Amino acid sequence: MKISYRWLARHIDLSGLSAEQVAADLTLSTCEVESVERFAPCLSDVTVGHVLTREKHPDADKLSVCSVDIGQGAPLQIVCGAPNVRAGLKVAVATVGTSLAPDFKIKKSKIRGVESCGMICSERELGLGEDHEGIWELDGAAALGQPVAAALDLADFVIEIDNKSLTHRPDLWGHRGFARELSAIYQRPLKPLDTSLPPAGALAPFPVRIESKACARFMALCLEGAANGKSPLWLRTLLLAVGQRPIDVLVDVSNFVMLDLAQPNHLFDRRRLSSEGIVVRDARAGERLTTLDGIERKLEPADLLICAGPKPIGLAGVMGGEETKVASDTTALVLEVASFHAATIRRTASRLALRTDASARFEKTLANRDLPEAAAGHLVRTLQSIQPAVRLSAPVTDQRNEQALVAATAELSILLRPERVRKLLGVALDDAAISAILKRLGLAVSPADKPGWVQVKIPCERATKDLTEEQDLVEEVGRIHRFGNIPTRALLETIRPPQLGARRAIVRKLEDRLALAAGFHQTISYSFLADSLRAKLGIEGLPHSEVVNPVAEGLSAMRRSVVPSLLGLLESNRRHGQDVRLFEVGKGYLPYAPQEAGISPTSSAEPKEVHELGLVWARPPKAKQRFDEGVLAELHAVVADLLPALGRADLVWGPARTGELPAFAHPVRALVGRADKAPDARAVAVLAELEPSVRRALGLVGDLDSEVAFAALSIDDLQHAVAALATRYHPVSSFPGIKVDVALALPSAVPAADALAAIERAAKGLARGIELFDVYSGPNIAAGHRSLAFHVVLEDSSKTLEDKDRHKFLERLAKEAQGLGGELRAES
Amino acid sequence: MQSEHADLLAGYRARMSSAASQEVLRSIEREAFDKGGTIAGMLAKVPSLEPSERAGAGRAANELKRALEADFAAARERLAQAALERERSGGDFDATLPAPKARRGSLHPLTQVQRELEDLFTSMGYEVLDGPEIELERNNFDALNIAKDHPARDAMDTFWVKTPPGQERLVLRTHTSPVQVRAMAHLKPPFRAIAPGKVFRQETTDASHEHTFHQMEGLVVGEGISVGNLIGTMQTLLQGIFGRAIEVRLRPGYFPFVEPGFELDARCPFCKQGCSVCKRSTWIELLPCGLVHPRVLEAGGIDIERYSGFAFGLGLSRLVMMRHGIEDVRHLLAGDLRFLEQF
Repeated sequence: MKISYRWLARHIDLSGLSAEQVAADLTLSTCEVESVERFAPCLSDVTVGHVLTREKHPDADKLSVCSVDIGQGAPLQIVCGAPNVRAGLKVAVATVGTSLAPDFKIKKSKIRGVESCGMICSERELGLGEDHEGIWELDGAAALGQPVAAALDLADFVIEIDNKSLTHRPDLWGHRGFARELSAIYQRPLKPLDTSLPPAGALAPFPVRIESKACARFMALCLEGAANGKSPLWLRTLLLAVGQRPIDVLVDVSNFVMLDLAQPNHLFDRRRLSSEGIVVRDARAGERLTTLDGIERKLEPADLLICAGPKPIGLAGVMGGEETKVASDTTALVLEVASFHAATIRRTASRLALRTDASARFEKTLANRDLPEAAAGHLVRTLQSIQPAVRLSAPVTDQRNEQALVAATAELSILLRPERVRKLLGVALDDAAISAILKRLGLAVSPADKPGWVQVKIPCERATKDLTEEQDLVEEVGRIHRFGNIPTRALLETIRPPQLGARRAIVRKLEDRLALAAGFHQTISYSFLADSLRAKLGIEGLPHSEVVNPVAEGLSAMRRSVVPSLLGLLESNRRHGQDVRLFEVGKGYLPYAPQEAGISPTSSAEPKEVHELGLVWARPPKAKQRFDEGVLAELHAVVADLLPALGRADLVWGPARTGELPAFAHPVRALVGRADKAPDARAVAVLAELEPSVRRALGLVGDLDSEVAFAALSIDDLQHAVAALATRYHPVSSFPGIKVDVALALPSAVPAADALAAIERAAKGLARGIELFDVYSGPNIAAGHRSLAFHVVLEDSSKTLEDKDRHKFLERLAKEAQGLGGELRAES
Repeated sequence: MQSEHADLLAGYRARMSSAASQEVLRSIEREAFDKGGTIAGMLAKVPSLEPSERAGAGRAANELKRALEADFAAARERLAQAALERERSGGDFDATLPAPKARRGSLHPLTQVQRELEDLFTSMGYEVLDGPEIELERNNFDALNIAKDHPARDAMDTFWVKTPPGQERLVLRTHTSPVQVRAMAHLKPPFRAIAPGKVFRQETTDASHEHTFHQMEGLVVGEGISVGNLIGTMQTLLQGIFGRAIEVRLRPGYFPFVEPGFELDARCPFCKQGCSVCKRSTWIELLPCGLVHPRVLEAGGIDIERYSGFAFGLGLSRLVMMRHGIEDVRHLLAGDLRFLEQF
């Protein structure tokens, strides 16, 4: 919201206080100021001139050649194209060298052969609205040679306030409210404002009927004798300063009163209203109304209507109707000043996306006592000051609705403990100082019955939302005293050493391992998953949590797992680089299902959120030289290192069971890790290449042809696994072990896990380490067989192993190999 | 005999001096000294000589042996020195060759800042808490003193989550503040806690607006907690973040869940006269904060006569952008390696 410094000065003496100073003090005591800018800066750069003579241009019909006195030196010769220029006028002159806009500097020039030394300005050229019909005719009393701003007292500054910082202050949505703040800050009195109503004529009061609980009060005033037309300069410039376009004097006065006192109001052309009067009622489904902006609105029962008899003529608190608006020939008016239910107005305005100055004020909960009558009186007095013929033709109609949703605003009393103020602020203000501050804000402080308490009376305009309880007054004292004057205090309490939390500790180690050791880059992705990506991954059929109002079409689903987000990043990253390794620690969101209780649930309806570690690795395919190359094997190496990095034994890796792999996983080239060997143990980690059609759908073909593997680890499960899995320490044996390399030629269908188990059995508990170092098939190996070669370390903690132990091991292993349908092929 | 020995010696010396490596030298040495080698051959011949010649021949062979040994030692030393010299010469080293690329990954800048703050606060006795991102409307708004139809809801454009009919309404949390509600339900005062995390606002994105970003909430509840404590704590926090004391300014700010509510501005740590970070004001708006509203404490089951508290919020995304001079907030969550690799 914009406020005008000159406007504020109508309510309070600001002498000696610059606009910047006012803005700085409002910032520290009241609200957030976004900027301070000079209003229509050109007004200070143009000079009051007097047109001495006006001659027709010798070579152009529509141009005049004028001699203009600007109060210094010889009169200037200026060529002017305006039809209204004439001798005797006081005009605004932009002399040579003046800039009216960054790219518009006045130069000495020749216009159709005649020299012109300046420009006579229109209102539009000076930033005063749209009027460009002719030059601006200044008041004849304007002092010759002075800057126009000074001569006409138009110098002003616009202070822009952040509306969000006024959400709780309905009283600050008008200039008088701000003046009241400044009065408290500077301890200067408010100037009186005449809001009394003039005597009323004898016509019958205008009939009004309130049929809705959303209307607490409705005042209707009949005015006659108005003559519509252009507003006076003071009014137009004030409105322009705060960004309000002047329309005509009736609309302008109505807006002026709203911007002055914060109370919206509406003027109807009396001729357009029916004799039945005004009815305020809820809209009916399907009813329609064309608002002032010319748009036909479809209404709902939650909307509140102003009707002329049965016919809707205004959307209460939001915008008037097209049909009953004042016209250029309007003389008789009905003024509406009403109190509407804040939430009702807010819902209508936000449903219709029709946020108006009026709705913004009503939704803050304006006082429904004192304020409406003040606004009505202010409007009539202001209009009369411009058009003395205006009169109140009938007694004021003032309907109050006892059934309204919001009761009539009363003056409120709050009990306050000054000690509480001192304690919560941490300041040493005495009772008298606290009372003095509250009084400066217009609050009346009196002793209360209880010792240690005082009674504070809150005026209506502050009592609707902002000041309702003791702690609200603590804030009032603090902000006028200035929070910056509160001494800093250390928190004095025993510190109980907090735990970082098991999950955070694990996550940090995993992140470090991946980023620092494995060369993966951490990313943090959006939680939304595009429908198009879901379709490419083949997971569009899965239930997802969804938002009702996505930022874009097709972006409503919340990811169930981190990996799909990462897969969505592969194509663009592969375009820029060869080797793409990404990981993310983040949440997956599982839609609500009765068996899935939420984490620290406060309701069974909460979706379950799961913590996950996702990894993807994509790179151009390359020929494998060794059995342990290839992106899946290499990612396996990275993932299998994670638990050991946490000081635990690795997971037990093996084939996935039905249902354990996501749709985008390769059906065969996939494995899962479990926390233990039990046949029903849950998969803690999934590791796989991409399903071939998914890889193509993701665009990882042609130039971007890639081998891709991904892994998903449940951090929640990992947390349990870390607690359950044994630590990795083995006592260091004081007896040397022996190293044996063995190669088992086995049918290819025999899983490596069986070979490993065979070695374990043959070693009879002495296998200290078994490491696969080669997988081979080809010459010297029977068809359908492969050779698995292992380094085996045998170690006994109680004795030195000898050659015979090694022989016994090899004998047993040879039998085991035969049992698996193969043979012990080599040993060393 | 004498001349024969002199020739032998001269022959060996010539070969030693042309030996290019210790290995070649070693093989020549073996030729001289090994079984069946030159010296051994001479000594073997001694017994077959005339007795009168034997003593002289033996002595001569030993003299030759000693002379050769000394020469070989000198040759070895010469080669060793030459090798050192060669190594010292550094070959064709070019100090201007660009460094080969080391393989390294990276932690997301948000992670880095978040960890620093977690460590800072943990050191001051704060617990680090987490809360759901899909949150009950009640916790995101109502329990924080933001009733339905409260205009403050407009300031937080909310993503609404599809909810089965009859269920409580869910939102994507618009701030980390609902963790306050959960903290009060789980912790007994006095306590201190922070809650970093992802938050969501349904708004059009541009260089400075993003629908998903990161915040950190802080909450302290105890006996006699005052605005003075809040200011002191915020100064300590800023000192921790920027590594030096930073002047702060407290001005009124409106947040329904605090009373009084403030905006805490920090004197811009990047300039003296005004810069693009502080929009030429020399102040940066950094920490919305305030005393926890009595309604919020009550909703958390806390005795407001005995306890008071303060809460604050910190924009993690904003802090990251400030720290690294990132011009567009959308880089943070875009997952572009060209961005991520820089951290």
